[in-house]
Amino acid sequence: MTKLSIERLEQILGRVLGIGVAASSVCLGAGLLMTFASGSTTIAGALLTAGIVMLLATPLARVGVSTVGYASRRDWLFVALTLVVFAELLASIAAVLRR
Amino acid sequence: MSMPAITPALASVVFGAGVAAGGVGALLGIGGGVFLVPLLHLALGFQLRTAAAISLATVIATSSSVSAARSGTQLINLQLGMVLEVATVAGSLLGGFTAYLFSESTLQRLFAAVAVLAGIALLGRLNRRNVVLDPNADPGRLGGRFHELESGGVVTYRIRRLPLALLASFAAGNVSSLLGIGGGIIKVPVLNAWCGMPVRAAAATSAFMIGVTAAGGAIIYFGRGDLRPLAAAPAVLGVQLGSWAGVRLAHHTPARWLKLLLISVLFGVAVLMILRSVQ
Repeated sequence: MTKLSIERLEQILGRVLGIGVAASSVCLGAGLLMTFASGSTTIAGALLTAGIVMLLATPLARVGVSTVGYASRRDWLFVALTLVVFAELLASIAAVLRR
Repeated sequence: MSMPAITPALASVVFGAGVAAGGVGALLGIGGGVFLVPLLHLALGFQLRTAAAISLATVIATSSSVSAARSGTQLINLQLGMVLEVATVAGSLLGGFTAYLFSESTLQRLFAAVAVLAGIALLGRLNRRNVVLDPNADPGRLGGRFHELESGGVVTYRIRRLPLALLASFAAGNVSSLLGIGGGIIKVPVLNAWCGMPVRAAAATSAFMIGVTAAGGAIIYFGRGDLRPLAAAPAVLGVQLGSWAGVRLAHHTPARWLKLLLISVLFGVAVLMILRSVQ
């Protein structure tokens, strides 16, 4: 297996971010239009919430994929750095869940 | 009542603000939160923490879509970004501590002082470039090279004063959730003026990082019920459009113009922060 190049990793991360933000926008757009067309329905609310959750999950996914990418490059310093960032983000979720 | 009713008319105004925020986000690598928060809070009557929450959501959106559009151009310095993210997210986690130590108005004045200082430093270096035109020059462990339209070739740069870049990233993360910003407004000038990074690469790398900077705060606001999806939706959608346009524009904008735009934004932000601090 050839080593994953940094350029290739950048492309993969770009893809992850692009998909996350596009999926989120579709949900937010549909939810917004439905709310204006027929009021706050359960489906519209669920679409809007799903859109926001996907948006918030996108940076997390990006950091997670970076860790995997650096691991496949055997670049352990960067595996450690991205893991620290991932743990720091999980700490925010933990702070919310603990309340 | 933490926010006004979201009517189609208000949604259009918020959408328009999002377009502008996305545009500067793409051009300068800053999320635009420094403008979006006062607009939502002072002009449209959103409560401050609702405004900050919406702004952080748009920062994630700008960051993601600008970075997706830029991937493959080598403008984003991935290695440096990953290193600085550790500091920025640590800063954001300790943001609550800072909010406890300093009053909001003290932070705003401090922010204004930093913005003026960075603006003056950038003014003094307006015609100096950080790039080396030799494509074979050694970029070092954290430097980079990219193809630049205005130089007509591949340019190289090295990173200097890494501790200062780490400190700026920490500070940016630290005030992020309190002020509802991604902190690019601190990172881009510092990276460009003192750390040897060309403005274009600094903007792209900052845009890449601010999504992660904002994520921690946005998650906490969402968990507390301050991030209302219906209010955030038009802002996030506007940012998508603005970012799309900004990325295309940035490519053709000379570095000197980008710096001038950044300097005006810095001085504008300083005035805005002073006004908010005396309110």
